[in-house]
Amino acid sequence: MEMVNRPYAAAFEAYAVQHPEVLCLSADLTSSCEIDGFRDRHPDQFLSLGMAEQNMLSFAGGLGLAGFRPFLHSFGVFLYRRPYDQLMASVAYPRRKVRLMGFLPGVTTPGGMTHQAIEDISVMRTIPNMTVLEAGDATEVESIVAEADRVDGPVYCRILRGAVPRLFDTPIRIGQMRVLAEGEDVLVVTAGITTEEAIRARGALARAGVSVRHLHLNTLKPFDAAQIVDHAASVRHGVITLENHLVTGGIGSMVAEALAEAGLARRLIRLGLQDTYAHGGSRPYLMKHYGMDALSLVRAVERLTGQATGIDEDALGAVRIDAVHSIVKAEAL
Amino acid sequence: MHMNDKIPLIREKALWMRRTAFAMVHRAQLGHPGGDFSAIDILATLYFGVMRFDPKRPDWPDRDRFVMSKGHATGALYTALCAAGYFPEDWLATYMQPRSLLNGHPNRNYLPGIETNTGPLGHGFPVATGIAIAGQLAGAGYRTFVLTGDGEQQEGSNWEAAMVAGHRRLSNLTLIIDRNRLQQGAGTEETSGLDPLDKRYDAFGFDVTEVDGHDPAALLAVLGAAPGSKPRCVIANTTKGKGVSFMENVASWHHGVPNDAQFEQAMKELV
Ligand SMILES: Cc1ncc(C[n+]2csc(CCOP(=O)(O)OP(=O)(O)O)c2C)c(N)n1
Ligand SMILES: [Mg+2]
Repeated sequence: MEMVNRPYAAAFEAYAVQHPEVLCLSADLTSSCEIDGFRDRHPDQFLSLGMAEQNMLSFAGGLGLAGFRPFLHSFGVFLYRRPYDQLMASVAYPRRKVRLMGFLPGVTTPGGMTHQAIEDISVMRTIPNMTVLEAGDATEVESIVAEADRVDGPVYCRILRGAVPRLFDTPIRIGQMRVLAEGEDVLVVTAGITTEEAIRARGALARAGVSVRHLHLNTLKPFDAAQIVDHAASVRHGVITLENHLVTGGIGSMVAEALAEAGLARRLIRLGLQDTYAHGGSRPYLMKHYGMDALSLVRAVERLTGQATGIDEDALGAVRIDAVHSIVKAEAL
Repeated sequence: MHMNDKIPLIREKALWMRRTAFAMVHRAQLGHPGGDFSAIDILATLYFGVMRFDPKRPDWPDRDRFVMSKGHATGALYTALCAAGYFPEDWLATYMQPRSLLNGHPNRNYLPGIETNTGPLGHGFPVATGIAIAGQLAGAGYRTFVLTGDGEQQEGSNWEAAMVAGHRRLSNLTLIIDRNRLQQGAGTEETSGLDPLDKRYDAFGFDVTEVDGHDPAALLAVLGAAPGSKPRCVIANTTKGKGVSFMENVASWHHGVPNDAQFEQAMKELV
């Protein structure tokens, strides 16, 4: 498994230098969002607003009105919790081409409840005019910059930073989910970092005789409900969603809505944070603790099929797809 | 006891806090040591020279309140609370470990002595303003102290709080600004300048004093003085990374973490 170091940094720079109407905005998380090199090399295209997220959102609305396409960089939480009203009135309603780059989604930060964007999908997807994307590997992080910039309106992206595994060899395309496996027993729907977990689980499940249909979502809005329903109709036992987010309002809810509206009766298990805040800790620890890891997925599959697989932590360890995300070291704050 | 008699104790506690906080960051390989070190003398002065509190009764209604608005500097806050007797020393070794009560940002549901959760900057000062007004409404005698970063002053919520505090003449409120002139990535004045910070707070109706934020005597004189007729703003001129030569005024130590050699070197200097 190839690990790519700081894929966002290089991709953003390569794209922005070709597009002078793109501006790089920071609210004092410049190195944390991998735009420090860009700041140093392209100071004329970089605007630091200080720690002032409300101002940054409305300011971006003003830039958008004047024809620029600002890319806003911060931790995901700081792009919507504090400046929500500014986001609605200055950006979303007037449909400004503002690109919100949300770093450290969900439990990828050890910073605890104040820093974990665990309801961002839920909030963003309910906003009219908003597009919501989530990168699940290095290739998607690299290609999300240009893809987000094609949108005629605001876009919120969940971005991965640091060392990111490369799982895919084709770029992200808005509206095109990836069909990673076409099994017939259980449908598994993942996005972002949970895709890597599901890939780990799939290897062990295949050996245990369970055939998994696996969809990777990179576009959360617009949501392709029809395709989800088709895939759900083609499996025997039901559907599992696995998300780095609260199960309310996120991918689990989106799939539930799709099944209900189509009148398709399928059992659904929603894995993710269950109506709780998360405490601080390393990403692997938190994923395990809150039931968002490969083993939790295996247990959910067993509940749907009614059959034990015999898979344990060791079996999953053997198919671990990279050794870089160490169990002890947390993501830097 | 004369006020200045407390100075040796404050210095001793501050030294212990620096050494202990850095050991926590070294062990966890996470934290914000630069901002810990700029704030530690201020916290030591408050807890060992100024505030009335009882660690056995963290909810004591008459306690003086301290709000750590720059919530990322948990190395400073946790060592202060521990030294003040709120929890046993062995808890410190769990800093940022899974299930620890000592999170990367302070959580009032986990630890006694924390008045409110902080971490997202720009919360603490408005909360402290609310606490101070509550004290005024109730005719209570407690005082409220809040420490913000200087970069943090760029958040607009601070200025909304300042307007209210000045308007209501909240003399029981003291805002302390850790003026280390650095924020996360760069200097405050090259990012979104704050100067003249004293004139700004003066215009908002505060009694403004500038002090050396590493001098316990100077801090004690202004923080320990009886309330006047206006809210007080103490601009504490500090050095980010204070006490360790290779960390002082270096922006990357905002959330830099030491390797073993750097840790050893720091322990030699912090004596
Ligand atoms: C609302 C918000 N935006 C961004 C951050 C990320 N952040 C944490 S500390 C920091 C810089 C703080 O600088 P300053 O207030 O000067 O504190 P100090 O120098 O004392 O560490 C930033 C941007 C945050 N915690 N909250
Ligand atoms: Mg500062």
